[in-house]
Amino acid sequence: MIFSIFEHILTHISFSIVSIVITIHLMSLLVDRIVELYDSSDKGIITTFFCITGFLISRWISSGHFPLSDLYESLMFLSWSFSIIHIVSKIWNHKNHLSVITAPSAIFTQGFATSGLLTELQQSAILVPALKSQWLMMHVSMMVLSYAALLCGSLLSLALLVITFRKNIEIFGKINHLLIGSSSFGFGEQCMNERNNVLRNTFFLSFRNFHRYQLIHQLDYWSYRVISLGFIFLTIGILSGAVWANEAWGAYWNWDPKETWAFITWTIFAIYLHTRTKKIKKGANSAIVASLGFLIIWICYFGVNLLGIGLHSYGSFTLTSN
Amino acid sequence: MESLSFNSTQIPKQVIPQVFTINSHLLQSNFKCCRFSFNTHLHTLCSSRNLSLRIGCELKISSDGKNKPIPKKIILSDGAPSLSEDVSGNEKIPAKSRKSGMMRPFGSVPRKLLGVLSNLPLAIGEMFVIAALMALGTFIDQGEAPDFYFQKYPEDNPVFGFFTWRWVLSLGFDHMFSSPVFLGMLVLLAASLMACTYTTQIPLVKVARRWSFLHSAEAILKQEFADTLPRASVHDLGIILMGAGYEVFLKGPSLYAFKGLAGRFAPIGVHLAMLLIMVGGTLSAAGSFKGSVTVPQGLNFILGDVMNPTGFLSTPTQTFNTEVHVNRFYMDYYESGEVSQFYTDLSLFDIDGKEVLRKTISVNDPLRYGGITMYQTDWGFSALQILKDGEGPFNLAVAPLKLNGDKKLYGTFLPVGGADSPNVQGISMLARDLQSIVLYDQEGKFVGVRRPGSKLPIDINGIQIEIVDAIGSSGLFLKTDPGVPIVYGGFGTLMLTTCISFLSHSQIWALQDGTTVVIGGKTNRAKVEFPEEMNRFLDMIPEIVESSLPKQSEIINH
Repeated sequence: MIFSIFEHILTHISFSIVSIVITIHLMSLLVDRIVELYDSSDKGIITTFFCITGFLISRWISSGHFPLSDLYESLMFLSWSFSIIHIVSKIWNHKNHLSVITAPSAIFTQGFATSGLLTELQQSAILVPALKSQWLMMHVSMMVLSYAALLCGSLLSLALLVITFRKNIEIFGKINHLLIGSSSFGFGEQCMNERNNVLRNTFFLSFRNFHRYQLIHQLDYWSYRVISLGFIFLTIGILSGAVWANEAWGAYWNWDPKETWAFITWTIFAIYLHTRTKKIKKGANSAIVASLGFLIIWICYFGVNLLGIGLHSYGSFTLTSN
Repeated sequence: MESLSFNSTQIPKQVIPQVFTINSHLLQSNFKCCRFSFNTHLHTLCSSRNLSLRIGCELKISSDGKNKPIPKKIILSDGAPSLSEDVSGNEKIPAKSRKSGMMRPFGSVPRKLLGVLSNLPLAIGEMFVIAALMALGTFIDQGEAPDFYFQKYPEDNPVFGFFTWRWVLSLGFDHMFSSPVFLGMLVLLAASLMACTYTTQIPLVKVARRWSFLHSAEAILKQEFADTLPRASVHDLGIILMGAGYEVFLKGPSLYAFKGLAGRFAPIGVHLAMLLIMVGGTLSAAGSFKGSVTVPQGLNFILGDVMNPTGFLSTPTQTFNTEVHVNRFYMDYYESGEVSQFYTDLSLFDIDGKEVLRKTISVNDPLRYGGITMYQTDWGFSALQILKDGEGPFNLAVAPLKLNGDKKLYGTFLPVGGADSPNVQGISMLARDLQSIVLYDQEGKFVGVRRPGSKLPIDINGIQIEIVDAIGSSGLFLKTDPGVPIVYGGFGTLMLTTCISFLSHSQIWALQDGTTVVIGGKTNRAKVEFPEEMNRFLDMIPEIVESSLPKQSEIINH
């Protein structure tokens, strides 16, 4: 009983801290000069990390098995992985924008896990015989870590796409203004003002364009690195799952829906990595593939569980409203 | 950039040595091109991308009227860099020019085929199609009778307006993962993998290993990241790079360092590992034996009888004559009553009747003997042993009852009174597992629960029933699979090489130009972190102050 109280406290703490961190980030968009804000958001994520670690450990102790046996536990593990990715990327490079993605993702997954939709799954349950294996730790933890990394990377690519296409629409608008301005050339001073405005606008446009270009470049690069990391984890996860299946059920690949969708996810991200090796510096192609990957990860993680069939039916759930 | 200064061993037939003397006012010196050789790879096959020009000039500069020539080599080349950049950056031609010698005996058709197959967009398209087919395979229910598809995808009301059962059955979508369409796409992907590995990645190995010094400051400054550092020494840079894990080569005034070369080779390993897995998978599919059997406790079976071959490569072995005896089947339970684990105690006897192995298997803990693996996959209820009014024990056969979901329910019936009358009445016994039996009387009313072996009789309308034992049957799945070692080897290789291919191959060139050091570098993956790393190195290089300058220049000239 004490463990469940402990778990409750920890989840509440981490949830509130992450919401504070997000608020700080939003504020720092407006007030750019306060460096302490950045540091405090880092510390906030580290605290969240420790909270969720405590939660997982207490659940491990209270239930006697590794805390990854049903959907609730895997969602908490997912938000834990988001905080890990945030911390690791800060160690790599202090100036990246990954925290914009990881913090809200952590809070959303945790919020969904602890929400009223899944109360029946929140009690720690016993393991069925098929899950009693050492492979459980490696396979499921690798898969959830890979989901976290790939989700981050594909969200970055999605952001890149949004910025790229907004830029195109805005340039189109500005060009229209330019044309209209130049067509009204012979009309005196009023027109000169207009043209000055347009020139000023285009100057700002090119200044904003430079920032956008830099941002796009950064997003593209970080999306690539995070997705490569996630791809490694996904490979290890799928292969360890196959070896476990061979030990438990006698065949290393059964074309189970969950296995098949994990393989589809792997294929899509392999396509992403291959579209980058060509020297097309548009960047949009690979970003489109990564955004498709975002959808596919959710189908693989949740969609298959909703069907509730197949060998992976431990993760299935029914949405109850109470 | 990695073209060697002109290497005479590489001269093919078309060398035209000439001597040019060029007077140039700009340079205020005469330099003679002693050797101007034209080295082109012209091939009968198409495309002007074949042309890689290498012009090697030796120039003799007479400066300050001293007539002491300082030999410098200017190397100009084009076309080569694209190979060093990325793994499969360019699709076909420059690499083909290298292996054309090998392909000549086979003729031009395999070469064209190889060119077509190693096209990257084609491979990407294949992967998309395979992904789409797999997704379709999860949406369409697999392995059902044709009737199911007639009802689900009727012709008079097609899904999405065109998808009827004709599509499903003719294209083999009801068994998607063994259908010709899917397997054909896999074969095509394997062929593309092999072609790509052969044409682009293996030559890449040769290119990446061939490192060279850059001897001119202009070439170095053309790199992605380049900088000049006044009053520094190339030796200090070399020491710092060595400390940072680079492999450093110093020759005279020039330096070359690299790190992470394994990151270039690892993608080849990835593709080879995938091919290995596919080979192993094919062997598994065509050469294994599989079978499942439900054996009541106490009975035997022979291995060869229960297994069936899966393909044309399956060959039985001597161990198929082994006889398996199920000594005992039992289950462990949690306190809440849920099943914790299934156990089967097995003994194996060879053809002479000698026991060769005895093991208790459980889920996740199979038995391996002679290439055959036995897994605990299922269980059943075989018979219920009871004492009726002190007589017996009688074995009642137990039958499974149908329930929704995967919970099981078994039942048996003990007739009371005449067994010939049309309305036979009796005592019903139901059980979910081997732990406890629920008994009902002739009217179907609940009477009580008894555990097997508890020696507690129950009285049902005057009849004393005592449950002696619940005899279960063990569901075993047997398999022999020759492809498993190959597939496991492929798995391990794939995991390892995928991890290694995360490394970034960084190369740094430096040249000591008087007292300044010109540094240039590039990397293939870590494009944002590399300049920062380089800046850190450059910050660490000590600055040489004026007093020690003459000594430095003496060292350099050696």
